[in-house]
Amino acid sequence: MNAKRKTLLHTIAPIATFLLVFIIWEVIVVSLQIPKWLLPAPTRIFQSMIVNFGDFWPHIWMSFITILLGFLAAIPLAISFSALVTNFVLLSAALTPYVLLLVTTPIITLVPLLMLWMGFGINTRILTVLIQAFAIINLNSCTGFLNVPTLRHELMDTFGASRVQRFFHITLPTALPDVFTGLRLATIFSTTTCISAEYVGGNMGLGSQIIMYSQFLKTTESFACIFYVAIIGLFFYQLVGVAQNLIIRWKI
Amino acid sequence: MQPRIAFHNVTKIFYARRQTITAVKDFSMEVFPGEFVTIVGPSGCGKSTVIRMLDGITPPSEGRILIDGTDFGGKKLDVETLKKIGFIFQEPNLLPWLTVEQNVQLPLKIMHMNTPENQKRVHQLIDMVNMRAYASAYPVEVSGGMTQRVGVIRAMVHDPEILLMDEPFGALDSITREQLNMELLQIWRETNKTIIFITHNVEEAVLLSSRVYVMATDPGRLVDVVNIDLPRPRSLDMITDDRFIAYTNQLTHLIGEIDLSKIV
Repeated sequence: MNAKRKTLLHTIAPIATFLLVFIIWEVIVVSLQIPKWLLPAPTRIFQSMIVNFGDFWPHIWMSFITILLGFLAAIPLAISFSALVTNFVLLSAALTPYVLLLVTTPIITLVPLLMLWMGFGINTRILTVLIQAFAIINLNSCTGFLNVPTLRHELMDTFGASRVQRFFHITLPTALPDVFTGLRLATIFSTTTCISAEYVGGNMGLGSQIIMYSQFLKTTESFACIFYVAIIGLFFYQLVGVAQNLIIRWKI
Repeated sequence: MQPRIAFHNVTKIFYARRQTITAVKDFSMEVFPGEFVTIVGPSGCGKSTVIRMLDGITPPSEGRILIDGTDFGGKKLDVETLKKIGFIFQEPNLLPWLTVEQNVQLPLKIMHMNTPENQKRVHQLIDMVNMRAYASAYPVEVSGGMTQRVGVIRAMVHDPEILLMDEPFGALDSITREQLNMELLQIWRETNKTIIFITHNVEEAVLLSSRVYVMATDPGRLVDVVNIDLPRPRSLDMITDDRFIAYTNQLTHLIGEIDLSKIV
């Protein structure tokens, strides 16, 4: 199969699936006359996404900026932290158990406490996203930094490379695919964490709106917000993919 | 004359979980400037360990290793000494994210030797192994023989006096291997470098070197040193020469004898 046809296939196939799912959904809702507070038809949801956009927009923006800032701040922190931990045995021994604890503890359990200390503002939610993204990126970066083949280290031995040279010439490039896996996962976790934090408290962000609309049985608007969350999540995930393709140009 | 490289009763012991493994026992060797010396032996005889100790990748457990009269006492070699040495690995060991040219330049960057003169040598070396057309290709895009050539010239880019070669062409097909051996002999003739070449191939050892150190396993040790008194320049035609065959027989016999004694 030539490349052009392959690209075409990979564009058309997902769109076809999308249409199929929503057509079936639409047909079921209409034919069974399911009430809209229970399950609205997709056309109604799409309509609401456009018609009520003015109401949704501040919340879309709030969730977007929370995820963006938390995620972006986590990247340099997590990568430099994991670089230090994997390079110094003492640091690794002292900190690894706690880093693991950070990954395994659901961050959402910290949100009520963070809100108690820091209030219901955006700062609390950004910090929550940051902690979650940090844990995921750090875990994957550590894996990458520790998996450098011995042969590459020996190559550096033959040149008398310093610790810093070693890191930038072999460790970081070797680990980049793992680092990017961490970044991809972190976008998913960041989105989830942001929405969860908005569920817990405050009245801004898509999470708070989903809760509010659900309480008033405004299921259509609730769904519209959920679709916007999905779009935001997808956007960040793809963004990392684009960055990865720009940076990692070699084949392994 | 002071030997360029000297091993005095060097022993290397590896500590595994519950046992100690003597990889090299009581190994002595002297290599003089401009010599081409081969170490031959079955796998596991410690021949690779010998040159890895020499380059400071792993320290010796006992004994002394001297490079131009300096004993590093098991410590890492200083950068000035490393600049004198080029190490060629069993695998090409190229970095996949660097192009052929960038791979060759890597030692210059790390050892802070990026002079215009050395930059010129990068291109000379790439031309020498007929890889100009592939200079900006990535390692995955070129053949196995080509990547090994890049591995060889990378070790030569800083113009070291000593080349340490750890079975460099072992993974290649015999045609490519013979071709690279001839190229290597030509490089040696032209540059007069001191070369220590590790192999398990007896013919390769006879063809290339002036002296062959024969090693045996369990524990890794030196069994004999054979001087190869064949005329130079050497060529592949010599393989059918009676004296060449006599040398390969002698070496095969030495290695074979060892294996038999192990079984008994």
